[in-house]
Amino acid sequence: MLQYTVKRLILGIITVWFIATATFFGMHAVPGDPLTTDKALSPTIRKNLEEKYGLDKPLVTQYGIYLANLARGDFGISFTQENREVNDIIAEHFPVSATLGILAVIFAAVGGVLWGALTALYRNRLPDTIIMFLVILGISVPSFVVAALGQLSLVNLNQITGTSILPVGGWGTVWHMIVPSLVLGLSTMAYLTRLMRSSMLEIVNADFVRTAKAKGVPATQIFSRHQLRNAILPVITVLGPQIAIITTGGFVVEIIFAIPGLGRYFVQAVQQLDYTVIMGTTVFYGAFLVFMVILVDLIYGLIDPRVRLE
Amino acid sequence: MSDPLLSISDLRVEFDTYGGIVQAVRGVSFDVQAGQTTAIVGESGCGKSVTVQSVMGLIPSPPGRITSGRAMLRGTNILGAKTINGQDIRGDQIGMIFQDPMTSLNPTMNIGSQIAETLIVHRGYGKSRAFQRAIELLEMSKIPEAEKRARQYPFEFSGGMLQRAMIAMAIACEPDILIADEPTTALDVTIQAQILDLLGDLQRERGMAIILITHDLGVVARMADEVLVMYAGQIVEQGSVDQIFYHSAHPYTLGLRAAMPTNDPSGSKRLSPIDGSPPDLFNPPPGCGYCPRCPQAMKICAGEPPPVIALDQGQSARCWLHHPDNPAAAKPNQAPTGQPGAMDE
Repeated sequence: MLQYTVKRLILGIITVWFIATATFFGMHAVPGDPLTTDKALSPTIRKNLEEKYGLDKPLVTQYGIYLANLARGDFGISFTQENREVNDIIAEHFPVSATLGILAVIFAAVGGVLWGALTALYRNRLPDTIIMFLVILGISVPSFVVAALGQLSLVNLNQITGTSILPVGGWGTVWHMIVPSLVLGLSTMAYLTRLMRSSMLEIVNADFVRTAKAKGVPATQIFSRHQLRNAILPVITVLGPQIAIITTGGFVVEIIFAIPGLGRYFVQAVQQLDYTVIMGTTVFYGAFLVFMVILVDLIYGLIDPRVRLE
Repeated sequence: MSDPLLSISDLRVEFDTYGGIVQAVRGVSFDVQAGQTTAIVGESGCGKSVTVQSVMGLIPSPPGRITSGRAMLRGTNILGAKTINGQDIRGDQIGMIFQDPMTSLNPTMNIGSQIAETLIVHRGYGKSRAFQRAIELLEMSKIPEAEKRARQYPFEFSGGMLQRAMIAMAIACEPDILIADEPTTALDVTIQAQILDLLGDLQRERGMAIILITHDLGVVARMADEVLVMYAGQIVEQGSVDQIFYHSAHPYTLGLRAAMPTNDPSGSKRLSPIDGSPPDLFNPPPGCGYCPRCPQAMKICAGEPPPVIALDQGQSARCWLHHPDNPAAAKPNQAPTGQPGAMDE
């Protein structure tokens, strides 16, 4: 187990290095640079600035310097924001994005498993039909539409009741987190519901479930110990990639709900070609996702003994 | 004979399918004596498994439906019941093992816990006590290093070992009846013999009755006291193992015996199959189900269902050939056409 974990971590670091390299060269391939602004700079000023930031050096040298800084955990200083280190930006805003993302993942996973199991047990009956209809909606409607609709209904709700039940935007208290994380997790929850339903339907008639019945195990225990635990495996398999989808999807939701997360800085940085911020947020997000995927795989091993030894 | 332990009468089971209603079991009656092995033989789809699954309450409903019948366990009907006088039936008084041990155990639970579960449910044991007992049961099922094995998972076991574990699980609560639904079909021949020996040993030690479902006549010859031959959802012949093998009364039993491969090393003997296929159970034929395939079929066979005709010493057959009105029925225990040696494994 330890050996496996170490191996996965080393592979993860290589993945992050690859992400950093690809982003670095991709970013520099885009026409323009952080010094391209509305106001034309005189050639002398431009040359001085390029020298100061090391932009005049060959690309490979810049890459080398960047990697060396990265290895020390230094993401550099923003080009466009006054006197802000990328590390500070991440430290300040990532916890917000992470909280939102993790809440959304929990909501999606718990909801998906429960709804999926429920629809499978009520197969082709009314609860199944209703939930599966909502699931199709959840999968097909993009999150920015759901976010806008969610906000609109919040406004209406607050107007009708005359009090502010839940805040429409912003960040700060638990109440601020509920609607955005529901919106963010919705499509993943819908997807996981479908997945859980089909895997549960397979398990419901599995031989070992029949064995458990023949042993006289009560239905609730068959459900929790025999069916759920086996049906949940495919859901955990896709949870890693789904976390990636949720966290990247968070950018849109953050902007709509005016949440001070990292997503806003990421989008802004790309528009302004703020090299250090692009690199910092991409590499950091990449590392976060790689770590989450490894974590999911380790959890998978805890639930399914068959993957534990490999 | 003494009162039977389990007495099944006129069991009928139907299944709703897209093609219509399948009459899987059409009036099955038989008795199981304590401490004896009753074998049910017949080809695939003849209703063997459905019969025992209805006794265990394992028929999925819908689409399955038990339309009539009783299964009296020591005088109490257990069809559709979960308990007798507060005692659980499934897993407690009747244990069951299945055909494919590889898929019949939960892949995410260790073997010991799966055995212990039975004891926790029926005997109210605590977790550690049940697990200790599970280790003993594994030892009883002749699994080496039972203590270590109990902590392992199904994927770490071989097929034969898994079937032993299944047996340990089924006998955990010392049931009076063990139902074995094709217990050796998925195993290779040497392992088959070991599993059958184990079942035999446990039966002698505990005096439990075994209902053995198989389509392997070699297994029947080795294990059974009583034999039921099933065809198209009905019992067509029943009798002691000697009667079935040496004095087969029903043409289907004769056909089955003739279809057994022999050990003849010259290889000159060809297998003689039973021509044709079983009847469509969506629309069971009005007469005898075996009639279209029967070499001895008579006029009456196609039109009227044959009654169960009692022969000597408890043997009976559902066949017009043995009806007293049939002039050829004078010698019901006529010598079979096959050689007696064909029953050897």
